[in-house]
Amino acid sequence: MEPAEDWLVESLRLYQDFHAFDLSEATRVLEWIGDKGVFVAGYESRKKNEILHLTLPFRLSVKENQGLFPERDFKVRHGGFSDRPVFDLKHVPDTRLLVTSGLPGCYLQVWQVAEDSDVIQAVSTIAVHEKEGHLWPRVAIFSSVAPGILHGVRLSSLKVVDLESQKTMYTSGVSDSDELSSLQVLDAHTFAFCCTSGRLGLVDTRQKWAPSENLSPCPGSGGGRWCAEVGGRGRGPGPHIASLGSDGHLCLLDCRDLSHPESSVQCAVSTPSPAPELLRVTWAPGLDNCLAISGFDGTVQVYDVMSWDGMGGQAEPLFTHRGHVFLDGNGIDTAPLVTTHTWHPQKPRTLLSAASDASLHVWDWVDLRASC
Amino acid sequence: MQGTAKALPGAAHGPKVRARRESGLSIPTLWVTAAWRPRKERGSQPGTPGSEGGSGALSGKSFNSSRKGVPGGTGLGSRTQGGWGPGPGRVLLQVQAPGRGRGPRAGPAWEPGLRPLHPPALGSHARPLGYAQAPPRQIRLRSVPPPPARVYLPCRRRRSRRCWTRRPAPSHRPAARDWLSAVQSEGPERGRAFPAGAPEAGAPGCACAVRAAGLVPAELRSWAVVGQAWSVGSGSAAATGWGAACRMPEIRVTPLGAGQDVGRSCILVSIGGKNVMLDCGMHMGFNDDRRFPDFSYITRNGRLTDFLDCVIISHFHLDHCGALPYFSEMVGYDGPIYMTHPTQAICPILLEDYRKIAVDKKGEANFFTSQMIKDCMKKVVAVHLHQTVQVDDELEIKAYYAGHVLGAAMFQIKVGSESVVYTGDYNMTPDRHLGAAWIDKCRPNLLITESTYATTIRDSKRCRERDFLKKVHETVERGGKVLIPVFALGRAQELCILLETFWERVNLKAPIYFSTGLTEKANHYYKLFITWTNQKIRKTFVQRNMFEFKHIKAFDRAFADNPGPMVVFATPGMLHAGQSLQIFRKWAGNEKNMVIMPGYCVQGTVGHKILSGQRKLEMEGRQVLEVKMQVEYMSFSAHADAKGIMQLVGQAEPESVLLVHGEAKKMEFLKQKIEQEFRVNCYMPANGETVTLPTSPSIPVGISLGLLKREMAQGLLPSAKKPRLLHGTLIMKDSSFQLVSSEQALKELGLAEHQLRFTCRVHLHDSRKEQETAARVYSHLKSVLKDHCVQHLPDGSVTVESILIQAAAHSEDPGTKVLLVSWTYQDEELGSYLTSLLKKGLPQAPS
Repeated sequence: MEPAEDWLVESLRLYQDFHAFDLSEATRVLEWIGDKGVFVAGYESRKKNEILHLTLPFRLSVKENQGLFPERDFKVRHGGFSDRPVFDLKHVPDTRLLVTSGLPGCYLQVWQVAEDSDVIQAVSTIAVHEKEGHLWPRVAIFSSVAPGILHGVRLSSLKVVDLESQKTMYTSGVSDSDELSSLQVLDAHTFAFCCTSGRLGLVDTRQKWAPSENLSPCPGSGGGRWCAEVGGRGRGPGPHIASLGSDGHLCLLDCRDLSHPESSVQCAVSTPSPAPELLRVTWAPGLDNCLAISGFDGTVQVYDVMSWDGMGGQAEPLFTHRGHVFLDGNGIDTAPLVTTHTWHPQKPRTLLSAASDASLHVWDWVDLRASC
Repeated sequence: MQGTAKALPGAAHGPKVRARRESGLSIPTLWVTAAWRPRKERGSQPGTPGSEGGSGALSGKSFNSSRKGVPGGTGLGSRTQGGWGPGPGRVLLQVQAPGRGRGPRAGPAWEPGLRPLHPPALGSHARPLGYAQAPPRQIRLRSVPPPPARVYLPCRRRRSRRCWTRRPAPSHRPAARDWLSAVQSEGPERGRAFPAGAPEAGAPGCACAVRAAGLVPAELRSWAVVGQAWSVGSGSAAATGWGAACRMPEIRVTPLGAGQDVGRSCILVSIGGKNVMLDCGMHMGFNDDRRFPDFSYITRNGRLTDFLDCVIISHFHLDHCGALPYFSEMVGYDGPIYMTHPTQAICPILLEDYRKIAVDKKGEANFFTSQMIKDCMKKVVAVHLHQTVQVDDELEIKAYYAGHVLGAAMFQIKVGSESVVYTGDYNMTPDRHLGAAWIDKCRPNLLITESTYATTIRDSKRCRERDFLKKVHETVERGGKVLIPVFALGRAQELCILLETFWERVNLKAPIYFSTGLTEKANHYYKLFITWTNQKIRKTFVQRNMFEFKHIKAFDRAFADNPGPMVVFATPGMLHAGQSLQIFRKWAGNEKNMVIMPGYCVQGTVGHKILSGQRKLEMEGRQVLEVKMQVEYMSFSAHADAKGIMQLVGQAEPESVLLVHGEAKKMEFLKQKIEQEFRVNCYMPANGETVTLPTSPSIPVGISLGLLKREMAQGLLPSAKKPRLLHGTLIMKDSSFQLVSSEQALKELGLAEHQLRFTCRVHLHDSRKEQETAARVYSHLKSVLKDHCVQHLPDGSVTVESILIQAAAHSEDPGTKVLLVSWTYQDEELGSYLTSLLKKGLPQAPS
């Protein structure tokens, strides 16, 4: 327990706020609903998995983080049971509906959060015709008056389905069988995709399939699996894409010119990701030029992309969250693997992170550069 | 061949025990149908009576011989109905409706044969037995049926709000075990429990585990008759009074009060005829009647002692014990009050503190006095962990470690084979000074668990501590003073250890003090109750005095005025008097300072006021104190959250779970979760709402040696893995159950056996005379049924075992003969076989 105690003392300096919770099962999903609620869901294949709607501790919701707000626990507002593992969950904005994806990947499940009780009920499914063994469809939501579900296992199977009528609104119509790793809706008509190969593209659904894309992954990387996220406030004007490889390689691309990466660095990870499906790269919504990565070990690293110069360099994290390594409540010997993380939509330096030991941390890190 | 072992009709769905009662009859009897073997696939034989499980209702039914005639079926035209064959007369199959009133009811005019044989009066519990689905056929019943089975039925208790049963005087107690709970017949206050001489009632829903009454070799014990009975009694049975006071095998739970964090816990449990009150808490938020639970629920005018067998207090928090002196001394209860030793030691101190605030500070009248607290505590019986305490001959309780606070316990309440576990407040994660709650796999019928934090996922203890340290550290760093009001015992020690460790690590120099009273009291209690704390504290205590800290020193009143930062632990915890209040008054005016309240505060105290945001306090002598110092609340209370509740349910493996202290609407998901994961029922009663759980007590049944021998002769012996079922008649004699052969049952009851015969007409194309046809039938059967005794009687009829065949001329067609076949229901299979054989026609006779 000694290193844990030391770390806890150290944490007084490192974190403005730090809360650690123990979920009943590990989650790969941290999906926001507003800025006070978050969905988590189990992903074990052999049991019933829970989907929970949690509300953040009250003291995290108040602007002034002062005394007399003793409420520091998550509240379970709603819950439901899923027969299959939940690998991804998306909340349909302005509705009480959720869409989940997982294995077997032959359908997406639509859920409704009950208004008059605390139950989340399965309401319908969206069929995904191709059945591809261990692959499961990626999901993103076009939120509008009639929400559309963008989903696909491969580029060839990408489509947008109207949530209510289940009519297909858009299909990619290509025979490209590149496997998808992430989908992100950017506005009412465009979305970004990232293939596991590292191929990235931006697609306008009003036009025929003609994405602006980079066809090859980042130069200088050793291949592996990739994931990416588009951030509104990257380096310089306009949106940027950060693309992370399972070997720890991180590329930064300007959305206007995907063929030439702006920078490419090697992140400070000791080993390639043991579970590339869990790779995450996220842009901080409230901080310029900051992003966080996880999926390599029990840590979450925060980087400032401004400090990166050109290609092939080593990047040092601005902050590393080691809470999951030191605070494993379950007494498991091996350090847990961080399964996902997300930034608080309002609080600039607050992140939520979950790990394979079912721990869920909420932490408000201190930028030590500022205090130096 | 067939007929060696018979699946009695009705056994298709497993054995049934059907119970019926009729008042006015003296011998209570239950008729049991228990399948000796699974029903064979007999439906493949055409015309097999009773296929489709149809004739199932014969057993356990009452028959009345009252009317002639069997209405014709709509079915197979070849079947005969007629009045012939042996037997004293025709009977009408009639089912006796269960009596509700004082005498046997006239049976409804049931049409025999084709109707479903369950009377509607059996109520919604009764299931149709299958005739409705059976192919139409005509069944003729012959001979006199036995009179209706006489059974004393358990009655369903009338559900009333005030359903607490007066404890019977010892002389009125029944001799038998009490798997049935007491009944009240006219009202709670005048409950007429267990009149002397009343027969013990049979129970619905009981599983009759057969015990062979010492007659049977051990290997036979896996022979089991498992009966399910129906509740056929009506709700009003007890009230309309058929003498017997029956007791239901059920557990009833009524929460009298429970709210959120500082609610008043008080739960009534009725188990096996014993009434137990769990906790006796007060509500901190009220100053009026609502402060205490409504004990008039138990009795309006009577003495509480008459209605309660014991009271159990789970721990010393006032929301669990605050109403105790009021309850015992002012309302009046003289029975035993059980609690653990630490609770017994600490509870009166807290009660006295509370009384002082209520009476001395707030000037409340009509409040319990110090003497009442003392008198109340005299009624306390202290218990050790895991010690089985016999409250009386039948009721026993056992305490388990609950964590939460020093001395907190979960209690198992057991009567006979039934048990309930009440958790009180508990904590499933160990902390610096207490261990985690633990209970063995005691598989209670019901687990009553607190669910205050059931919908929360709690922040880890370490993060709470981290925040505490951060607050203290920040204040000390900027030169402020920190006041931590604490109760002498409990979290104070934990926080001291924490600060000591932190000071050591960070190398802080600011002094930490504790007020003197704290040391002696705390050491005293810790010496007494060291076994209740966790390993770490125990070790610390053995190695050195609890409060011999390097950085923490005894406080002197003069220190409060010292300049510079410092941290002070002082009593009491709610800032209502004493040293903590004195220091608070000195430091309150400086915004650099901080007060950290580590626990909840009773309304009316300074602690409560500042926590609710009050910044100007009126002190004694109209002096106004402006609070500029920072006020922090750090809850270190250790309750089980959703995960903890699941862990405990997993440990105890109860049959049902009951959640108290929560909002039902917010806990639907938790309920589903518990029900899914553990496959148990989960209840969430509101205050004043009663949950009734039927239980399934084991009732020993003796088997007669004769029956066992007979069944043994018929086949393989049962084994643990391959149990067998056996037929028998369950009779109740001298308040015990016995399974005997039907012959013996008839003998014991002085009844004549009645015979059931099935009849059937088979048309044969044969223009010869009846006698010749009969002779042909005889020779045919003789050649086919070589193993059976086929006889040609002088009157021209043919018999095969009990089966009688007569040939008659057809009234219209001289070329056709009618074979009248009749057989007893014991030879049902052979009879069916024979009819099907005869229907195929006779072999061409050599002319």
